[in-house]
Amino acid sequence: MNQKPVLKQAFVSSLPVLMGYTTMGFAAGVLLAAKSGIRLPAFWAFLTSATSISGALQFMLVDWIQKSQPMLDVALLTVCLNIRYSMYGLSLIERFRGIPLAKKLYLIWSLTDETYALEVENKVPPGGDSILYCITLAALNHFYWIIGVTAGALAGASLPFPNKGIDFAMTALFLVILTDQCRERRNRVYAAVGLLASVACALVFGAGKMLIPSIVLMLSVLIVFRKPFEKLESWKPGERS
Amino acid sequence: MNGTSTEYLLILTAVTAGVTFLLRALPFLLFGTGKRPPALVLSIGNVLSPAAIAMLVVYCFACYVRDRAPAEHMFGLAEIAAAVVVVALQLWKRNPLVSILAGTAVYMTLVQTVVP
Repeated sequence: MNQKPVLKQAFVSSLPVLMGYTTMGFAAGVLLAAKSGIRLPAFWAFLTSATSISGALQFMLVDWIQKSQPMLDVALLTVCLNIRYSMYGLSLIERFRGIPLAKKLYLIWSLTDETYALEVENKVPPGGDSILYCITLAALNHFYWIIGVTAGALAGASLPFPNKGIDFAMTALFLVILTDQCRERRNRVYAAVGLLASVACALVFGAGKMLIPSIVLMLSVLIVFRKPFEKLESWKPGERS
Repeated sequence: MNGTSTEYLLILTAVTAGVTFLLRALPFLLFGTGKRPPALVLSIGNVLSPAAIAMLVVYCFACYVRDRAPAEHMFGLAEIAAAVVVVALQLWKRNPLVSILAGTAVYMTLVQTVVP
């Protein structure tokens, strides 16, 4: 059958992401060019955004480049930042079963928060090819992200205003994600664990060396006290168990 | 290895892209044949995200405390004010872009004028 409506619907569904990715990507690109001190920032902006397609990571890269962060730390932090993608895949295993390997690899490679949400929503027109819909969506979103980051890096080297303080964009991004996660009661328990563990590690190890000990402490606490935390998730103030 | 060297940047790109792809592919590799994921993996995977983001917020502020806590920076006034703007806007408008751009603009204005 004619798959044109599928392509059209994929484009319409991707429009909110066009707004989000180009602007957020632009900010990340500006930061890379303005603060990392690398040569050819637009080239690296293109390469990193095309291969990772990950918002928080794109911001963290600038910090890592500035500090020449060791690769083991980079790998561990990437796991922490992006472990949620593993959870997304769990709910797509059945959908993606039996499709050609190349298509499957691209769908996995391009799985971002927003693309996942739209693929789960799956507004494919009746009788349309759902995999074609997913791939078109993924490719459009991928494209928006690359354009945003690369354009930001091109602009960032010659901003018409002083850029002091622009690195607060990364702090703001993490604050926004945390605020949204804490709308859900159960997440607050785990955000509190991360908060306490990392404040303790910041005090003991100092800001520059706190991340890896924080991850280890956090994971140990989450594993050891997993049962009590699960009880706490549904606890309401004033209620006795 | 210097962070701005071509060699470092190439390895950085490969490591971040490789690890991120592996994370995305992990469930398909492990459970693609219909096996059930172990309960521990599922529960840690679900709860690590909020903890990790909270840690990153603490990390950002730990760096500010180290660099900008003294009285000459008004004890982090710019950081606190900008963070309040971000969280308040996000709670109110639920638009990440607006919150991030407004918070960053407030911060840039403050550190370039009143709280250098």
